[in-house]
Amino acid sequence: MKIPMRWLNEYTKIDMKPEEYARRMIMTGTAVEGWENTAKFTNVVVGRVNTCEMHPDSDHLHVCAVDVGGENDLQIVCGAPNVKAGILVCCALEGASLPGGVIKKGKIRGVESCGMLCSGPELDVPDYLYPHCGNEGIIILNEDYAPGTPVSEIFGLGDDVIEYEILANRPDCLSVWGIARESASVLGEHFVMPEIAYKENGRGTFADYAKVRIEDETDCPRYCAKIITNVKIGPSPKWMREYLYGAGMRSINNIVDITNFVMLETGHPMHAFDLSKVRENTIVVRKAHEGEILKTLDGKEHVLSGDMLVIADDKQATGLAGIMGGEESEIVNDTASVLFECAAFERGNNRVTARKLGIRTESSGRFEKGVCPETCKEALDRACMLVEMLDCGDIVPGMFDNYPNPAPVKTIKASAERIRRRIGVDVSTQDMEEILLNLNIDTETDGDTLVCTVPPYRQDIEGEADISEEVLRMYGYDHIPSTLMTGVTMPGFRNEAQSFGMGIKRFMVGLGFYEAQCFSFISPSWIEKLDLPEGDARRTPVVIQNPLGDDTSVMRTTLVPTMLNALALNMNRGNDSARLVEVAPVFMPRGEGELPDEWPYAVLGMYGDGADFYALKSAVMCLCAKYGLRPDVAAGGDGYYHPGRKAVLTLRGGSVKLGQMGEIHPLVNEKFALPERAYVAEIDVRALKTCAVELGAVKPLPKYPAVSRDLALVVNEDVGAGTLQSAIERAAGKLCEGVKLFDVYRGERLGMGKKSIAFTITFRSLDHTLTDAEINAAMDKILSAVSKNLGAVIRA
Amino acid sequence: MQDKINEIRRRALSELVSVTDSKALDDIRVRVLGKKGELMGILRSMGQVAADMRPLIGSWVNEARENIENAIADAQKAIAAKEMQRRLEKEKIDVTLPVKERSEGSLHPMSLVLEKLFDIFTGMGFEAVEGPEVEYDRYNFELMNIPQNHPARDAQDTFYVDDNIVLRTHTSPVQARIMTTRKPPIRIVSFGRVYRADEADATHSPVFHQLEGLVIDENVSMGDLKGTLDTFARRLYGEGVTTRFRPSFFPFTEPSAEVDLTCAACRGKGCRICKDTGWIEVLGSGMVNPKVLEMCGIDSKKYSGFAFGMGVERLSNLKYNITDMRNLYENDVRFLKQFRT
Repeated sequence: MKIPMRWLNEYTKIDMKPEEYARRMIMTGTAVEGWENTAKFTNVVVGRVNTCEMHPDSDHLHVCAVDVGGENDLQIVCGAPNVKAGILVCCALEGASLPGGVIKKGKIRGVESCGMLCSGPELDVPDYLYPHCGNEGIIILNEDYAPGTPVSEIFGLGDDVIEYEILANRPDCLSVWGIARESASVLGEHFVMPEIAYKENGRGTFADYAKVRIEDETDCPRYCAKIITNVKIGPSPKWMREYLYGAGMRSINNIVDITNFVMLETGHPMHAFDLSKVRENTIVVRKAHEGEILKTLDGKEHVLSGDMLVIADDKQATGLAGIMGGEESEIVNDTASVLFECAAFERGNNRVTARKLGIRTESSGRFEKGVCPETCKEALDRACMLVEMLDCGDIVPGMFDNYPNPAPVKTIKASAERIRRRIGVDVSTQDMEEILLNLNIDTETDGDTLVCTVPPYRQDIEGEADISEEVLRMYGYDHIPSTLMTGVTMPGFRNEAQSFGMGIKRFMVGLGFYEAQCFSFISPSWIEKLDLPEGDARRTPVVIQNPLGDDTSVMRTTLVPTMLNALALNMNRGNDSARLVEVAPVFMPRGEGELPDEWPYAVLGMYGDGADFYALKSAVMCLCAKYGLRPDVAAGGDGYYHPGRKAVLTLRGGSVKLGQMGEIHPLVNEKFALPERAYVAEIDVRALKTCAVELGAVKPLPKYPAVSRDLALVVNEDVGAGTLQSAIERAAGKLCEGVKLFDVYRGERLGMGKKSIAFTITFRSLDHTLTDAEINAAMDKILSAVSKNLGAVIRA
Repeated sequence: MQDKINEIRRRALSELVSVTDSKALDDIRVRVLGKKGELMGILRSMGQVAADMRPLIGSWVNEARENIENAIADAQKAIAAKEMQRRLEKEKIDVTLPVKERSEGSLHPMSLVLEKLFDIFTGMGFEAVEGPEVEYDRYNFELMNIPQNHPARDAQDTFYVDDNIVLRTHTSPVQARIMTTRKPPIRIVSFGRVYRADEADATHSPVFHQLEGLVIDENVSMGDLKGTLDTFARRLYGEGVTTRFRPSFFPFTEPSAEVDLTCAACRGKGCRICKDTGWIEVLGSGMVNPKVLEMCGIDSKKYSGFAFGMGVERLSNLKYNITDMRNLYENDVRFLKQFRT
């Protein structure tokens, strides 16, 4: 919200630099975003063009001698078509700063020019601030001003405009009066309201001109209306246009300007109806009929629903209550009679309607934040007073005012002691009383009790806690002491889930991975690209109703697409390799109205230098080993992996699915724009955590020697080396200390479709030196198991 | 005979002086001291010597042997030393040869900052808690004193899953969950991802992280809040850093305060980062609104509390001078590589 300083100073006294004013407002709770001067230029003065000759080397430029109040005329080259001798102009002197840049002395086609004659746009002066300063060329000043007079004075510019950010609890400050009142309290000055008085010089009474019917008093708690006849539409006076300009509003005409002016000054949005366009002269405030159609002021057509509050005449909706008027009853140049509306509309309905229709106006913004019904009449009276002041119509005696349930006077009893305990600052009860009185909160002290009567516009003050804030902010937040908590000492700690997730990240970082963080929502098309089978739960994610765009419209059911995007980004930016890990939840929908199941996955991704299936497998196995686990690895996995290079990882004999990993399928690579082979592993962190084995007792160091035997086995090509190794481990018995693969051989001598796999098997006993007989027995068991289950034979 | 022995000794000793490798040394030893060597030759020829001379000659030979053996031992030491030196010289490497100077891998800046925050707050007796990211409207808004159609909902443009379920807009719903299920005293920090409908740009992200603290006990005051945050500020940025409280508004606290920390870059002198104010806006905080306590089933007459919250990205961006939020979520390894575990 922008307010010119001059406007505030009509109602209170702010006699200080904007910096100091801003600081004091900020430290008492009114955020000041900044300030700027309404003049967007400096060093521009009135000039009189004494002579105006054609430029010797141009068919459109003129060379002028301009009197700017100095000893000598300035020579200025001007290209405007409307420049001529004898006119008064706005002359930017050398060094002047304009929105477009700084004016320097220079030569234009060989002729020296010592300044610039300015147009409206060049000074950022809109034509509603100085009529006819826009289109025809340079501004020609119509009144008689002395050359050398600063131009900013003529346009009423040069005032500081303060920009406030009004917090949601203080809608009363969304107005000049509100800010002036707050400033007065903060600065210890007085807030002086204008005396509101006007003569009702029209004929008849309100009822002679219009009927108003309020059908929904819940969403329209108060409705005030007044009739103006013999309206003379025209421009509003200069001072009003200047204030509106400073506050960031366009001047339209006197009647519309009055409504906007009153809204800015009092915080009450107003509406002006052209009474001749209101059918049967009847205004009805009601809910829209389902499907009713309304064309608003901005020319847009809206289909309304039954929960939207509208202003209607006897036949149909003519405006959206508190949001935007209808095109039909707009004020036009020949409007003769006006109905001024100043009402209070309930903020909830207003907000929902504005949202649904995608409209946001100054008016709807205020109603959403809450407009105080109590002061509607005052605002409407202020508008009438301005009508009289601007002499733009006759005010018909009598006001329509429907306010069936006036808000009761709010009285709060607060304990001064409890306030002191809450804010931790030792403010005396008497000081509290003074502070509250200064905020127009009528306060009487009865021992420890403060009896506070809250002014109606302070809708935010509801209880003792609010009173404590009022006291503290005016007393000064810088008085809050720094004390330490007393009471029970509590142990601080992290929960297991956090430590577990961080443990995975830290471990993977140790293995050379960088932690990635991706958005939790994705595009459904990315899930499509994974070619998951029909009915796969991952294809039905949690859907966001109002996403920013398709790319952020559903919650992740898998971390794979975002990982592939991250890998693609790195590849396409020319990074020659990357290893990434992300630990984050996936979201699986449950029933209607239920929260989704949320649990963490770890996803690893790699490409480039040293990346292949086995490097990734090694990382996965190392991670599992950290938790005392060695998952079973079997060929298989989802279709977005390379069919020959993918594996599923299971625990507890296959009963717990831990995850899967593999090289990404070349076709999926294409869909994700991955120019290189990429490798991805997905680990269900919930499963990992459930199965993780705590490290218990460790084994003593062995006292007896180990014995190793090498064993080369010939098997069919489709028998996995890991499968064979696991079979050996299972068959080898307790004496087996380790099985290590050292060679895989394929050759003609073995025959087609055969391979030889060689292992070193180490045996050891903790309590004696092993005999040949014991080892032979173990080897026999191994051989018979692998030949029976996997068709393995000893290599000849 | 004596001359002959002396000649053998003289020749051996002189050769030993110039010997340079162990093979030449061994040759000399065999030739002079070996079973068929020169000195043994003398002893073997003793038969031709008068018997009374034999002990004398024997002692000359022994003396010569001793001399030569000592000389050989010395020569051996010298040769070993030389050979060791030669080996060491041969094994010399270029220690300036460039090597891999750091191990790959690092945590994301968000984790680095969160870890630091955890250390600080768990050290102050706070328990770290988590809650769901897809959350009921009731926990995210209503129990935080933000009823339907309250204007404060505008400040937190919300993603909706359905009428009652949202992507949480702050980590406060975790506080609501704790307050509705536990009895005071409560001292927790909740943290995690939160969501707001802001288009991603240099200073906004629709996904970001928050950390919030909540304390509820008897006689908790705004002074305790300031004391807690002052301690936090010092542990985060070092001694001399303090807080400045400014009045503000949050629906769930009353009174509410925006909290600035002394700018860590200039220590309050004023610089580009703090826009010459000496302060950096970091936290929102306040005394828990009694309405919130009551809605969560806590007696607001008996208990009071404070709450505070901060954006983790804000802290990481300040700490690492990250000027574009998007860097945090696109995972370019050239960005990630700059962080250290």
